[in-house]
Amino acid sequence: MNPIDDDILQAYVDGELDAATAAQIHAALAHDATLAERVRRARDLRTQLRGMFDPVLEEPVPEHLSALLRPAPSKATDPVVSRAAPASKDTSGNARRHAARRRWVPGTALAASVVLAALSAWWWRPGEVLTRTQHGQTYAAGTLAHTLDQALASEPDARAPIAIGLSFRGADGHVCRTFVVRTPPSRAGLACHGDSGWALAVLGPTTPSEGGELRQAASALTPEVQAAVDARLSGSVFDAAQERAARSAGWR
Amino acid sequence: MREGLIALLPRLRRLARALAGQVADADDLVQVVLERALARAEQWRPDAALDKWVFAIARNAWRDELRARHRSQALFAPEEAGDAVADSNSAPSVQKLALANALAALPPDHREVVALVLVEGMSYSEAAHVLEVPVGTVTSRLARARTALQAHLGTEA
Repeated sequence: MNPIDDDILQAYVDGELDAATAAQIHAALAHDATLAERVRRARDLRTQLRGMFDPVLEEPVPEHLSALLRPAPSKATDPVVSRAAPASKDTSGNARRHAARRRWVPGTALAASVVLAALSAWWWRPGEVLTRTQHGQTYAAGTLAHTLDQALASEPDARAPIAIGLSFRGADGHVCRTFVVRTPPSRAGLACHGDSGWALAVLGPTTPSEGGELRQAASALTPEVQAAVDARLSGSVFDAAQERAARSAGWR
Repeated sequence: MREGLIALLPRLRRLARALAGQVADADDLVQVVLERALARAEQWRPDAALDKWVFAIARNAWRDELRARHRSQALFAPEEAGDAVADSNSAPSVQKLALANALAALPPDHREVVALVLVEGMSYSEAAHVLEVPVGTVTSRLARARTALQAHLGTEA
């Protein structure tokens, strides 16, 4: 007889249990290899599904789709006016739609960058200091600290000036997150949470990608960041539920 | 709302891919969803979460599409499921193909739960809200979908 049924175990894997029940399951895992194997398989499925579909987030959005949400071209230079512009109905015929969906239109990335630049201009406070130093250690500050505290990689915001990549618990027990600062000068880094905030392990310039710095993918790790992740990673990176749970726990 | 939809586009495309499998089908679905969302903009209350509202439209639009296909007998061809693998730059592994095929073989109501909870990362109660079913229905569908998917994946890896 097994005291832990499939529903409870599933809820545990998906981060749906209250802290006390989750702790009970966690304790049971240590001396029940069968149970641990069930958890491992359930997590593995989740990881594989994310690995299969998450890359969609980084694909350029096809032109015919973003065009549906764009106001008339003559007003595209003024985001304030254009946001108030009336909806442009999709008028493309079936044939055009078919042609458009089969190949990525090269202009999409550029157009998306322009839109992003226009949108992030009012979101982003230029010249804002993103770091502070305390006892010789550099910590995240301002929007960077806020993003590390709040943003979930599973709920990316294409307009946000900073994107979160991977989150994981390092070998020393601290939660670490990679990030990309999209606004020029674009930078990538790794921050690990501690008592005094998000300590920056690495922060360096990114190599401009083909689509320009604004489209820098959150998952595009620089070699320096990749090396810093490799040096700390002991298990696997967080999936969406684990990331959410870590945020609820204050990244401790 | 237009701004919100722009920010939501990558996630909407991911959800559509998880529901529809094929890249072309998924983007056709996204187009239908955006058109419906814009047409019904006045039905959306700003105090409601835009993502859940849009995802509910997506789920219903996909149900409509499946019904239309069923009528026209144009059934989904499982051997094309390799298209569902998002990263076209690398050759899809055997395991990814197995997973894509297993997903394609799921009943639509099970696949919806997998897409919302396991891919999109929604909580059970959020998924229940989008699907308009009790939380218990979400958990039982998810458990059965998991069993089916894990059976396809075997015990290794």
